[in-house]
Amino acid sequence: MNNWNKQIADMLADGTVALVIGYEEGSTPQKTRPLFCHDAVAAERLVMDGRCTHNLAVYLTKKELLPAEGRIGVVATVNVLKSALQLMQENQIPEGRFLLMAVGPEGKLTELPDAESLRQYIAAHPLPDNPEVAALIEKIDAMSREERWAYWQECLSKCVKCYACRAACPLCYCTRCIVEDNRPQWILPWASTLPNIEWQINRVMHMAGRCTGCGACYAACPLHLPIHLLTKKLTQEINREFGTERPAKGNVLSTFSPDDKENFIH
Amino acid sequence: MSKIGVFICHCGENISATVDCARVAQAAAEMEGVAYATDYKYMCSEPGQQLIRQAIREHNLDGVVVGSCSPRMHEPTFRRACAEAGLNPYLCEIANLREHCSWVHEKGEATTQKAIDIVQGLVEKVRRNQPLTPIRVPVTKKALVIGGGIAGIQAALDIANCGHRVILVEKEPSIGGHMAQLSETFPTLDCSQCILTPRMVEVAQHPNITLYTYAEVESVEGFIGNFKATIRLKAKSVDEKKCTGCGLCTTKCPNKKIPGEFNEGLGTRTAIYVPFPQAVPNKPVIDKEHCNYYQKGKCRVCEKFCPTGAITFDQPDQFITEEVGAIVVTTGFRVLPTSFFPEYGYGRYKDVITGIQFERLASASGPTMGEIRRPSDGTVPKKVVFIACCGSRDPAKGIPYCSKICCMYTAKHAMLYQHKVHDGESTVFYMDIRAGGKNYEEFVRRAIEEDKVNYVRGRVARVYERADGKLVVRGVDTLLGAQQVEIEADMVVLATAGVANPGAEELAQKLHISYDPYHFFAEAHPKLRPVETNTAGIYLAGACQAPKDIPETVATASGAAAKVVSLLSQDDLVREPLVAVVNRCAPPVYSTCVGCFLCQTACPYQAIEREEIKDRQGRVIKTVAKVNPGLCQGCGTCVSFCRSKAIDIQGYSNEQMYAEVNALLNHE
Ligand SMILES: Cc1cc2nc3c(=O)[nH]c(=O)nc-3n(C[C@H](O)[C@H](O)[C@H](O)COP(=O)(O)OP(=O)(O)OC[C@H]3O[C@@H](n4cnc5c(N)ncnc54)[C@H](O)[C@@H]3O)c2cc1C
Ligand code: SF4
Ligand code: SF4
Repeated sequence: MNNWNKQIADMLADGTVALVIGYEEGSTPQKTRPLFCHDAVAAERLVMDGRCTHNLAVYLTKKELLPAEGRIGVVATVNVLKSALQLMQENQIPEGRFLLMAVGPEGKLTELPDAESLRQYIAAHPLPDNPEVAALIEKIDAMSREERWAYWQECLSKCVKCYACRAACPLCYCTRCIVEDNRPQWILPWASTLPNIEWQINRVMHMAGRCTGCGACYAACPLHLPIHLLTKKLTQEINREFGTERPAKGNVLSTFSPDDKENFIH
Repeated sequence: MSKIGVFICHCGENISATVDCARVAQAAAEMEGVAYATDYKYMCSEPGQQLIRQAIREHNLDGVVVGSCSPRMHEPTFRRACAEAGLNPYLCEIANLREHCSWVHEKGEATTQKAIDIVQGLVEKVRRNQPLTPIRVPVTKKALVIGGGIAGIQAALDIANCGHRVILVEKEPSIGGHMAQLSETFPTLDCSQCILTPRMVEVAQHPNITLYTYAEVESVEGFIGNFKATIRLKAKSVDEKKCTGCGLCTTKCPNKKIPGEFNEGLGTRTAIYVPFPQAVPNKPVIDKEHCNYYQKGKCRVCEKFCPTGAITFDQPDQFITEEVGAIVVTTGFRVLPTSFFPEYGYGRYKDVITGIQFERLASASGPTMGEIRRPSDGTVPKKVVFIACCGSRDPAKGIPYCSKICCMYTAKHAMLYQHKVHDGESTVFYMDIRAGGKNYEEFVRRAIEEDKVNYVRGRVARVYERADGKLVVRGVDTLLGAQQVEIEADMVVLATAGVANPGAEELAQKLHISYDPYHFFAEAHPKLRPVETNTAGIYLAGACQAPKDIPETVATASGAAAKVVSLLSQDDLVREPLVAVVNRCAPPVYSTCVGCFLCQTACPYQAIEREEIKDRQGRVIKTVAKVNPGLCQGCGTCVSFCRSKAIDIQGYSNEQMYAEVNALLNHE
């Protein structure tokens, strides 16, 4: 057993945490899958390596999956930490409820008890930009308006409105999503090109200034539609207009200071 | 099934000239949910209103659309008419057929069709309207005025004279502000203290005013009509009830060489001090930073001499809370010190002084008893140079704005100097002379023509001290083709820029009011709401908005007082119920609000709070957003921000607006 598995097993055994969410070996050697450890024995199965791509932060807002009492440990990747930090800023996870932990290269377990420690850890572990994504965005940017419209129409015409993207996203935690609202019916419920585009535009706009770029939406899409390009592009736009800093409270689009430049009014 | 009445007005010929009103009424009668439709020449006239009232009663209408002029014009009229007939006024909507249609289009089929569409949109909206009742917010009939300069004094007196109670908070030991420091005032040259001190005394004696000096506002909570302010009363070390203001202590204090703030460092004071002889209240405080006892643990001389035993060492600051209905911010401004200007010697030359220091030299109560004597050696300067726009209108110094008062007080200074030193010579370097104001231009002309002040148009590049100790002013005269000029001077007076007080930004944040990049407080509207802030119930006056002279300061103070009084003269604030509400729904959801509180930072009026939804045992089920109807201005920012669509504006709900827009878009 790895040293950190042992540490976590101990935490479960002595009641420091009531549950630990992490990853275990998947059905094929190429994959890992989420694991909920309720006891020390299960902790032996925990793994952490480059194959762990599932964003576990999605479970942090699912009350029905979590024990009512006690702390919950999460063996997290940097993407999970970023989402968790965003959830904290949006008041979605009560302070002290989760113990986020990162596993270092030599199997060293780092506990990240609060938002500040998360912020520091994330800043010290920047994720590399995905060159494929950047190339795709550039390709779409280079298109004319008409070509771009045709591209997205073609692409999203395939969407089956399964909402897997929504289910996989840790930041899509609304109790009633706008697509389930029918007074008024903002978005037509069936799957066809225009309503599909409407859905994606809404999803993406709701991510403005919030999306952490983990790519869970793309990974979840059974049709492999490149919907993550939309959120990624929006993030680029926001960075360009508002800078890469995000306010600690609120959202880039909801906070202002009187000396903000007004050059966004074109 | 709704029963809506549609009333199409001809507006004389204003609408009927281009719109076929009878056809619009006919088309309306066919619309789903419409029970009655008619047209009439003047709907707003008494017979027109009677028509509406009668139709409501006869047809049991549960909604009304009046197709007429802009709702800005007659919405209140028609809503009142509906209310008189027993229909909730918020079930009446206006279709703007005049400004939005007849006035902007030519006569023709398309114009009539557009009118029908507009009516259709409103019919769809009204079908979804809910009866609403006005919101009543109780008002605490007391005002808080922050800052006891002339602005605060005037505002406090005006409010108090209307019979309302006022709390006036001043951070210094005395009220009076800058005006108390001035010698004489432009454009009439009347003595500043003579016109100010009677008002200061009036404040102290007014039965409706509670004055807290040496005090600061620590925090403010609440909203219009219902603020709660916590005020820090800094320990004065003197028991005001026992002190008779005899002043013996100030003569005995051994620490006599402290540069006095009131005299702008040109005179000295003791550690226990009254800032100036006419101070209100006229009781001393101990400045802990300079007191031997507080600094070194030994002295207490004042205590020994005080005949009434009023000295109270080692008292902590006190905190009090006051509930008030309105707040006026009058914290004023300050002028930059000479040390701000490297080109004028960084404050190193004793005889380069600021305008406010000159006021003290010229003042009869000042360190020289009103004689113009220069600080370095006390001699009477024979040549004085005044430099206007020091820092002001200089983007490189970060002050692109005009400080507004300097042209005038510089003319005043030169004039006072000429009156006091008959053989003296004065020169004013200026960029432009801005003397807009009643009798202002005449005043400047008098300085130039009667008092022979030498006005040179140009910037001063440098002021330096020559080896023989003389000050040399080097500048250009732009009216002589930018010729270099060098003038020797015995004293140089800088009209330094008026800037915001150091604590202004912090105070603005405490009060949730906005401020400009220079930290002056921002008006709700620069022209039409010049003494209001964006936060309802908080008003502004005086130089905390921007540098202002006394007449303008007093005018804004009285303006702010009028706003406060009109607020405090109501028992309840009656507000339109067109405010945001966070929805509620059946368990287990309770509300679709997920408590992300992003709306909270989006709301420009700080109207959004947190609310806990609890079960019967008092356990918190969910924390959701809550809109305070007293603060909400119905702007709708939160609505557009909420991803869960958990917030709606009453009277303009998403459902209503969606239906209206859909109806407008859906015709063939
Ligand atoms: C050199 C000079 C000469 C002038 N000559 C003339 C003239 O001849 N004629 C004319 O019309 N105008 C003149 N003025 C302008 C005049 O001084 C101002 O118009 C006037 O002082 C503005 O009054 P105020 O009450 O707004 O501000 P201030 O006079 O600055 O008063 C503000 C008060 O608020 C207090 N305060 C600040 N912050 C706080 C806080 N956080 N809490 C509590 N209290 C606080 C301050 O201590 C002060 O008492 C002159 C100005 C200068 C600089
Ligand atoms: S009302 Fe909407 S924006 Fe505000 S806290 Fe609730 S979910 Fe968030
Ligand atoms: S409508 Fe405007 S003022 Fe009212 S709560 Fe929403 S954002 Fe604030």
